[in-house]
Amino acid sequence: MNYANWGQRAGAFLIDYAPIIAGWFVLFILDLIIRSAAFALILWLLFSLGSLGWWIYNRAITMGNTGQSLGKRVVGIKLVSEATGQPIGAGMAFVRDLAHIVDSIICYVGWLFPLWDAKAQTLADKIMTTVVVPA
Amino acid sequence: MLVLQRGYSVPENVSMFAAGAAAVGLVYPALMAHTGGQGLPCPLRTLTGVPCPFCGMTTATVAITHGDWRAAAAANPLVYLIAALLVCTAPVLVARAAGRAPAPRPWSDAARRRTGWAMGCLVALSWLFQLHRFGFL
Repeated sequence: MNYANWGQRAGAFLIDYAPIIAGWFVLFILDLIIRSAAFALILWLLFSLGSLGWWIYNRAITMGNTGQSLGKRVVGIKLVSEATGQPIGAGMAFVRDLAHIVDSIICYVGWLFPLWDAKAQTLADKIMTTVVVPA
Repeated sequence: MLVLQRGYSVPENVSMFAAGAAAVGLVYPALMAHTGGQGLPCPLRTLTGVPCPFCGMTTATVAITHGDWRAAAAANPLVYLIAALLVCTAPVLVARAAGRAPAPRPWSDAARRRTGWAMGCLVALSWLFQLHRFGFL
C-alpha cells in the first residue's frame, strides 16, 4: 500500500488553515481601522464562530464523508479507514481532529510521525486507525 | 514493512525536515524580534508545568545554527543527533537530487523494531534530561 508523504499532508493542512489565517488578517486590519472595543469583540466572536464552522464543514463533514478536505483535494490525497479503505464519516473525522491534541501535546512531535512511520501515520491516525493515501 | 515515501528513506525524510528547521532556526531570532512573537511553547509544559522529551528543541535549533554549541546542548542534546544525521545524510540527498542514488531498500522488520527500541530509549533519556533541566529530578 502507498501512503501520502509528510510534505503532502503538511501542505494540505496549511491549505485547510489558509481561510482562517486570511480571516485573522482581515480582522486585524478592520480592528486597526475601526478602533472600537465593542466592535472588536463582535468581530472576534464572528471570526471564532466562522473559523469553527469552516473547520467542522471542511475537516469533519467534507473530509469525513468524502475522505478529502479542501487541502487534501488540492494536494490529491485522502483520509480513509485502515481496515476498510473507505472514508470514516463526519463524526469520526471530528474525533480524529480532537485526537490531534495528542500530536500537539509533546511539543507537536506527533505531527512529524509521518516522516518516519511505516504507515506514515500521525498519533491521531494510530488512535483512530486511519491512514492518508494518494487519492 | 517499510513503505517508502516518494523514493526517500526515513533518514533522508528526517534530514530534509531538519534542514528546513535549521533554515528557520537561522532567521528565527530576527523573526521573533520583528513580530514580537513568543515562539511555540510546549503545550504539556504550559498546561501542567511538566516538560516533554522534546522541550528545548526550538532553543537548541536556534543555538546550534548560530554556532552556540554549549547552549544547544544545555537546551536539548537531541539536536546534536539530528544535526549529525543531517551531516551524514546530506551527501545521499545531493546524490538523490542528482539522480545518482539508488532507490532506498526497505529495512527488515527486525531492524525496524531494533531502531524503534533504540529511539524509544533515547526519547526516555531525553525526558529524564528535561525533567532534570526543569528541576523535577
